[in-house]
Amino acid sequence: MSLQDLLDALLTSLETGPLITATRHFDARPAVFAPFPSSLDPRLVEALRSRGVTQLYSHQARAFEIVAKGEHVVVVTPTASGKTLCYNLPVLQSLVQQPEARVLYLFPTKALAQDQLAELTELARTLPDMRMFTYDGDTPQDARRAVRGRANLVLTNPDMLHSGILPHHTKWLNLFQNLRYVVIDELHAYRGVFGSHLANVLRRLQRICRHYGSAPQFIMASATIANPRELAERLTGEPVAEVSESGAPTGDKTFICYNPPVVNPELGIRAPYLGEAATLASRFLKKKIATIVFCQSRLSTEVVLATVKTMVQDKTGDSGIVRGYRGGYLPLRRREVEQGLRAGEVLGVVATSALELGIDIGHLDVAVLAGFPGTIASLWQQAGRAGRRSGRSAAILVATSAPMDQYLVAHPDYLFGASPEHARINPENPFVLVNHLKCGAFELPFEAGEPFGGDVSAHLAALEEAGLLHRAGDRYHWTSETYPADHISLRTVTSDNFLVIDTTARDATQTKRRQIIAEVDWKSAFSMIYPKAIYMVESEPFEVQELHYREDEEKVAYVKRVVVDYFTDAISAKGVWILQRFARRDSRGLAAEQGEVLVAEKVVGFKKIKMGTLENVGSGDVELPQQEMQTTGVWLSFDPAVLARISPSREELVDGLRALTYVVHHLAPIFLLCDVRDVGAWLGDGRPAETGVVATRESTRARLLHADEFTPTIYLYDSQPGGVGLAERIFEVLPEILGHGLALLEACPCRSGCPSCVGPVNEVGRVAKSAARALLSEIVKPA
Amino acid sequence: MAIPAELRDIIRRIEDRARAPRPGRRGTSIEEAVGGAVEGTERGPLLVVRRRFPLAHVHGDQSLAVLRLADPECLALLARDGFPPPDPERLLYLDTETTGLAGGTGTYAFLVGAGFVDGAEFEVRQYFMRDLDEEPALLAALEGLFRDFEGFVTYNGAGFDLPLLETRFVLGRRRWPGDRFHLDLLPPARRLWSGRFVDCRLGTVEQRVLGFAREDDVPGALIPGLYFDYLRRKHPGELPRVFDHNRHDILSLAALTGWVVGALTRAPDADLSAEDLAGLGRLWQSRDAERGEACYRLALTLGLESPGRERLLARLAVGEKRRARFPEARALWEEIVRLQHAFDPRPWEEMAKIDEHRRRDFVSAHAVVSEALVQARGAGAAEAVRDALTYRLGRLTRRLGGGRGR
Repeated sequence: MSLQDLLDALLTSLETGPLITATRHFDARPAVFAPFPSSLDPRLVEALRSRGVTQLYSHQARAFEIVAKGEHVVVVTPTASGKTLCYNLPVLQSLVQQPEARVLYLFPTKALAQDQLAELTELARTLPDMRMFTYDGDTPQDARRAVRGRANLVLTNPDMLHSGILPHHTKWLNLFQNLRYVVIDELHAYRGVFGSHLANVLRRLQRICRHYGSAPQFIMASATIANPRELAERLTGEPVAEVSESGAPTGDKTFICYNPPVVNPELGIRAPYLGEAATLASRFLKKKIATIVFCQSRLSTEVVLATVKTMVQDKTGDSGIVRGYRGGYLPLRRREVEQGLRAGEVLGVVATSALELGIDIGHLDVAVLAGFPGTIASLWQQAGRAGRRSGRSAAILVATSAPMDQYLVAHPDYLFGASPEHARINPENPFVLVNHLKCGAFELPFEAGEPFGGDVSAHLAALEEAGLLHRAGDRYHWTSETYPADHISLRTVTSDNFLVIDTTARDATQTKRRQIIAEVDWKSAFSMIYPKAIYMVESEPFEVQELHYREDEEKVAYVKRVVVDYFTDAISAKGVWILQRFARRDSRGLAAEQGEVLVAEKVVGFKKIKMGTLENVGSGDVELPQQEMQTTGVWLSFDPAVLARISPSREELVDGLRALTYVVHHLAPIFLLCDVRDVGAWLGDGRPAETGVVATRESTRARLLHADEFTPTIYLYDSQPGGVGLAERIFEVLPEILGHGLALLEACPCRSGCPSCVGPVNEVGRVAKSAARALLSEIVKPA
Repeated sequence: MAIPAELRDIIRRIEDRARAPRPGRRGTSIEEAVGGAVEGTERGPLLVVRRRFPLAHVHGDQSLAVLRLADPECLALLARDGFPPPDPERLLYLDTETTGLAGGTGTYAFLVGAGFVDGAEFEVRQYFMRDLDEEPALLAALEGLFRDFEGFVTYNGAGFDLPLLETRFVLGRRRWPGDRFHLDLLPPARRLWSGRFVDCRLGTVEQRVLGFAREDDVPGALIPGLYFDYLRRKHPGELPRVFDHNRHDILSLAALTGWVVGALTRAPDADLSAEDLAGLGRLWQSRDAERGEACYRLALTLGLESPGRERLLARLAVGEKRRARFPEARALWEEIVRLQHAFDPRPWEEMAKIDEHRRRDFVSAHAVVSEALVQARGAGAAEAVRDALTYRLGRLTRRLGGGRGR
């Protein structure tokens, strides 16, 4: 049975046909070729010919020309379009022709650097004088000196550049004096916090290059996002040319949206999507069709993998043709799976987004996406894993019951027509910026008035006052014994992480050995690992015994393995206060404002919830300090007349507003290239309590119900201290978010609320959905 | 987003302070406080402190006079860096005081001290940055000084001072004169004294070996903070103590070099202690095995005690084995077995190997291994150790049985 037959059966059978909400066919597209550029070195031409390459795709030739002109460039083309050659060609050209030239490659992960080194080595086999090495956390200490001295092409990651290379730039004298190109692949990965950090790391890199008299050209490559050029320019601070017309051919491709069947219409509950995804994948695997399943978490990867394995095992019980792939697996095991996929010995793989990035696993026929991966950009990246340059392939999106998934499968036109998201960064986030100023000063004293992105004189003065810098003459020098890069992680704004330590074995054996089972970032710690919380690792429950969070202590949580049938859910009290207004927009009874907010949060207790039945089986109190942060936010308030038209009951209105908050919060990420957790949401009072006094959801509700004046306000804010640019974007696209919210509520088949629209009915109340819908109809402009 | 409130507060405070009258510089200048003078360099003025000591100066109980006579061969033997034996009068005894231990480009050497023999005197010269913008002057002065000398002597300079200075030179766009003789005295000190002293820090070694006791010394960990204080207040404060500390480090380094070279030149000499001879033997062994073993034998004669005694016996035994003098080697291993307090399988195994493979005396080998196994069990030795012995015993039993069957 061919792939086409299987797809036909899927679409037409009585069982599955009705669950398919949309099918879209993409025709094959022929290649657009270009001859080798005349300036391409004959040795490179020879190397390419020996690998069977006799001409280039048009985008590869175009990128080569732009680089030859001396411009920075970003290449944005789909998965498997030969993107790497766009940077490898000009790089190898320079290394062949200028023995002194040096090149730096940046990848977001170590695995990608390894992968690229293998590809480069293959391509450069016949070229003279190629000394290419990776330099990262895995490079043995005794090999590092050799790499520094010998390499003319160094493959590394931003974290290593930040903490291992830049602070020791004198040891890299040769590299920085002769740095010709900086290649940044997977540019789209550098958004939000990571991107805001990278922009600053690149500022530091450019300072060091200036010091040694070099001015490298940036060659960047990105998956499809809405604003690659803008992102590239913000990251590098330089004008960048864009190449986005792919000349690579594509095969026939079918994209299918699949919504699991409703099993409880009253509560709007659908069949578990993981099981559905596993069943779909097995259909293809049983017919020897190479299939990849993408899951949204490590845990769901394991669940789906186990299910698929039982479904496809042969008579001897062997299910080795299907493998798992996720972060946390040892590198060796991952390499083995990649190799197996390339060689065709492994037919199926169940993976997290770890396989979404450019790791070479050859081409597969079918991609099953167990849940919307969170962004349109990821969706196409994952779907692109299936697809050969010729022949047919398919991608199937299996919807979860989350609002975003349900919205997308019900509105396929949006899904297929949507421009991918904007990658937002905010290099001026004061916390991020100040940290990199410290690192920058450590590397080279700052001249008074020296720009770093923008004017930083006030920041430098503040750092001097804090005793970290000292001004001598016209320069600010680092005057602290610390090595600042050690304390700054590029992956978070604040860098204190908690170690979760299992003490179960320690009690038995009296050993002092520390069994670290997980790491939790500071932000999530108080709502995840408070004393008595149940913390799950690989579906095994641990109870938190102690949490050490004081400033002078090591940040650890001691946990013990327990046997329980419940999990815990933190009850927190919160408050949002407006500090400064930057912008306001009024329309149809809605006032939207954007500015700086103070968010305070405190975990005050927890509920014990029985697994399976989800009943509330107990509760407890928690004593933890309040956490406060300044960030950027958006807040919405409503014309009292509009509210009065919807309902005379404040109770109904509050329920409706809470439902609206839920909808807006869960839909916003579609526009932001971010995760739901990157945005915070809170329904509060426009005339809030005394600054810093937090309240639980229930007492906030009571306050709204009994206040003299009824001024409910929806707050949406950037979860990163200082903000990484999300609030500004929410403010821009708010009308669209609200429009999509209304469409979602109108299309959702549930009666009065379900997890797929406004949240479970028993949490939001019977009238919440209709009130939210009425409110949205009032404030959304008719299309 | 604008600068957050915390930063804004700080900035406001700075502005307030700018309006308030600044306290004037009071009291003595740093030049006076440390007894130095500001000298000109090609890159601006620099504070230099010069102290000269007659070579007869005794530091602890060691005279500096020996430095002039130090045997170049011994210096090269200690340095083990492949450079030809240096002229002892053209060595710089170098020590830096820095703004931290972190390394990298953000750590400054704010005080660099260098000692050298000059005719009948030993000079300690200290270069000091009165502010961080005097680094170009400091580097210019150092480059000039280094040009006049052939090599460096340091204490842990290979791991710390020299890479740090190299970084400073590169940052200051100067060529680092690194390709030259360097004796880092820390590794030989470890060979000589680790295990005998609590640690091998210079402060410990100078006390135990040179009998030098410092008064009111500044702990090294406080030094960066004292310098930062000085930078902000521009008042000498505690800094003179840092200069003393640095000068003492250099005198101790020089005196200790004199001691080690002197002892190495004399060894084996009966006026040295058994423990010292054991360490000196190790230093000699790599260059001149016979002289190393002579030191060991003298140490044994002088009554070196356990467990050092067993270690030397083992080294001698390995030497005898290498020269294929198996009976001598076996006798040494046997002596070790007699001496040792804790069970160690190695001498037993070595004896058994010699019996089995060289003397082909399986009966004796069997007896040795049987006894070792008894002792191993008695001492509660690790399972792997017992397994190895059991395996060896099994093989010997088979060989004995086979012999009988023939």
